[in-house]
Amino acid sequence: MKLGRRKFLGLGSAALVGLTLKSEKKIAGSFVNDSFQMGHLLRDRATFPAAKRIEKVPVVIVGGGIAGLSAAWRLRERGFTDFVLLEMNQQAGGNARWGENEFTAYPWAAHYVPVPGPKAIYVRELFEDLGVLKNGQWEERYLAFSPQERLFLYGRWQEGIEPAVGLTSKDREQFQRLENVFADFRKSGAFTVPLELGLSSKSKHLDRISFSDWLRQEGVDSRLLHWYMNYACRDDYGALASDTSAWAGIHYFSSREPEEKGPLTWPEGNGWITRRLLERLGANIRTGQMVHRITQTRRGASVFVGDTEFQSEFVIFAAPTFLAPYLLENFPSLHDFVYSPWLTANLTLDRYPDSRGAEPSWDTVFLDSPTLGYVDAMHQSLRTHIDRTVWTFYWALAEGAPAQNRQLLLEKDWAYWKEAILHDLERVHSDIRQCVSRIDVMRMGHAMIRPAVGSIFSEERRRLSRLDGRILFANSDLSGISIFEEAQFHGVEAAQKVLKKLHG
Amino acid sequence: MGILVFISVLLVAACGLIYELIAGTLASYLVGDSVFQFSTIIGTYLFAMGIGSALSRYVNRGLANRFVWIELVLGVVGGFSSALLMLAFAFTQGFELILYALVVVMGVLVGMEIPLLMRIVKDRYQFRDVIAHVLTFDYLGALGASLLFPILLVPRLGLVRSAMLFGLINAAVALWSTFLFASQISRTRGLRVTCLLVLFGLGVGLAEAKRITATAEDNIYADEIILARDTRYQHLVLTRFKDDLRLFLNSHLQFSSRDEYRYHEALAHPGLAAIPAPRRVLILGGGDGLAVREILKYPQVESITLVELDPEMTRIFSSNPMLTRLNASSLLSPRVHVINADAFPWVASNADNFDFIVIDFPDPTNYSLGKLYTTAFYRAVARHLSAQGFMVVQSTSPMFARDSFWCIVQTLKQSGLQTYPYHVYVPSFGEWGFVLGGTHDYAPPKSLPPGLRFISVADLPALFQFPPDMAPLPMPANQLNSQILVRTYENDWKDISH
Repeated sequence: MKLGRRKFLGLGSAALVGLTLKSEKKIAGSFVNDSFQMGHLLRDRATFPAAKRIEKVPVVIVGGGIAGLSAAWRLRERGFTDFVLLEMNQQAGGNARWGENEFTAYPWAAHYVPVPGPKAIYVRELFEDLGVLKNGQWEERYLAFSPQERLFLYGRWQEGIEPAVGLTSKDREQFQRLENVFADFRKSGAFTVPLELGLSSKSKHLDRISFSDWLRQEGVDSRLLHWYMNYACRDDYGALASDTSAWAGIHYFSSREPEEKGPLTWPEGNGWITRRLLERLGANIRTGQMVHRITQTRRGASVFVGDTEFQSEFVIFAAPTFLAPYLLENFPSLHDFVYSPWLTANLTLDRYPDSRGAEPSWDTVFLDSPTLGYVDAMHQSLRTHIDRTVWTFYWALAEGAPAQNRQLLLEKDWAYWKEAILHDLERVHSDIRQCVSRIDVMRMGHAMIRPAVGSIFSEERRRLSRLDGRILFANSDLSGISIFEEAQFHGVEAAQKVLKKLHG
Repeated sequence: MGILVFISVLLVAACGLIYELIAGTLASYLVGDSVFQFSTIIGTYLFAMGIGSALSRYVNRGLANRFVWIELVLGVVGGFSSALLMLAFAFTQGFELILYALVVVMGVLVGMEIPLLMRIVKDRYQFRDVIAHVLTFDYLGALGASLLFPILLVPRLGLVRSAMLFGLINAAVALWSTFLFASQISRTRGLRVTCLLVLFGLGVGLAEAKRITATAEDNIYADEIILARDTRYQHLVLTRFKDDLRLFLNSHLQFSSRDEYRYHEALAHPGLAAIPAPRRVLILGGGDGLAVREILKYPQVESITLVELDPEMTRIFSSNPMLTRLNASSLLSPRVHVINADAFPWVASNADNFDFIVIDFPDPTNYSLGKLYTTAFYRAVARHLSAQGFMVVQSTSPMFARDSFWCIVQTLKQSGLQTYPYHVYVPSFGEWGFVLGGTHDYAPPKSLPPGLRFISVADLPALFQFPPDMAPLPMPANQLNSQILVRTYENDWKDISH
């Protein structure tokens, strides 16, 4: 009798053990593109070698993000080639950098540009140059394919990110009312892209309160609406609505005509634009060149990289402005420049996970997730059959103070972020761990300027945007919001000003 | 001896539960609605067990003999239950009736087992021990069976063989009982021979289970499935019913060999015969080689390039004898060049010119396929057209998916092409539509290759006439960034099926 029972129990437990033996797929990956080490050298006032070599170049562009590349693009376009662009990282592009594996390219940060409106003249010019805009028509292959965006909420999918499922009549009324308010702001002409063209002191009061306070003043208390407004602020500014100037929050919704065409996007996101610009500018670009000092001279400015001194007539400072106090002598410390820390990750998928019946979309967002969801790099592929892909996962560390979040980015190891990302995705894609073979993580302590309360109309910012003297500032942070069009606007404006000064 | 009795209890309990699970699972598989099936089957089964228990009091003499007989009958009924149910579903109208009759019979028999056993062994133990031991092993057996069923039996053996196996166990218990209760049994020899006969019968059943399953499945799927394959790209099924071969891709009918000539003649000839001297032809999709067969009827065509995504598709259609008979071994012609590639990237990167281009893709049922029906795609294809060239697009049904058909026409127009829509009747599909596109005027051909069965010069102009119920509708064009066709198509067919 004992034997029988033991045998039976043995059999039973073997069957149970068999159930738990689920093979855990090995996931590779690491931190990539870390650049804080170099930044910290500047912050800690490390000593750099004295200049041994001198190069004379009339124009030096510091920083190879979209602002710097756009300045270079305009210079070359106007036939001026006597300049260098110095980029600290091994790869130019800044927030428009990209990566590549054996089957697709993918973005590291910015991944789309909205179809530019009539005021964004420079962007339209660029896109005509790049073949994105031909005879007034946007190239169909560069517009985001269907289906574009989806939101996962209440255990199901909906198309679009603005919640449309489970709204009460109160929610609906508030959504509609807010839409009307935004439409009025749009008509006022004060909210434009580029921002500077419409900026009017009439709307200055909106920069004095936070977006969430303004929403409350407007009588908006719908939870879904607040989620959506917060999502918008996290997505574009890396900040919660309570940390965002109401002016900037309104700008997000009121600066563009609502239209169905766009946005413009590519597998490698805005990295596609970087690539095309680099093709045109290759000879003038020098990467891996960390500027450690810039000095004003009698007839220009000198830029120091390693043991080289670039003696120039004009410097276009297109790197993030917060670096200026560390690079320029006697530069006053800055108060109105707050930056949001971000984390992005690229996940290599050997197959698509279970998506509860939905076809893959371009952009996927989960309601109430602290992250911003992910973008599918293969979505813009022309292929009908796609089995592998790369997802770019976005996470603005918006909750809490930026300095603390920067500390968190430095302290936690790769495995911590890998698990955090997988946990977030597992809420919807239960078999995600069986699909992912690689997760590379990029940490950005100062990913983008934050349009905090008071920052849009900040005197400091206006002063630095003036484009006078020998050193001209051109980063997108001078607008107070970090979007492609602003970076490009400042870069092109700075280049034009330099050309004007050089040629009298 | 005690332990052996209780092991019998354990085995008998396991068998009882397995039959119940098999009935429930089969009913859910075949009829669907698993919650309903399991609830009603478990309820009926338990109720029948109660009847069995009640009936057991009328068994007064020859308890052990009766027990052995119950085990044998249960072994036969339970063992063949799964096979019987599958065949009943495949060949009769009364599946539910047979299902519940079986469940009742098995339940009654199972319900009698334990009371009888208890009474057989009651003199050997104290009453409280009998109850305790028998019930303990009864429940243990149930647990074992419930774990084995999903983990080992269903995945490894399947339902038919699992039932046979447990029928064998019932019969084995019967045989074993003739030894165990030898002192209480009469006519032992005859009983043992019967046991052996039942064991043999069930053994044969176990060995033949595969054939039983196959017979039933063939009938469930109506036509004979002569080929079913999961390729990297799709699920491919080929069926045959008498002389009718049918190809299904992801469950969508692609052709029926009885009338596919109508479809493929209509796809190829109105366009191709209208081109003065066609030399180079491109086919996108159409890995079945049936459009190629039609195009090979033009001796002046020097080369046909076939771009098909799935290599398995072109491989099967150039090697399977039934299929090469259907496509006249077209894919093996030296004039044909097969390229296994995704069509859109191929079209976008290739630079060759063609006089005639056939676009024969599955209907736009999802956004991936929808990319192949966009202005971006047609513009990319149109760049390959020679000066005299035309392209033809299979464009779903202008009758059942009227919005979709005219959306495709509009998409071609917006891609800068002149369009000439036409339609034919294909019995297995219904009214079916095509669109010719080109950069110059089209006139129906004055001559056609010999030997066509459907298209004729005289009837051609009529194909371009659309009666009021298929007449043009104003539709927007389908674009990569706003694929309205997929939604339109879904709605069109939803309207039909409701």
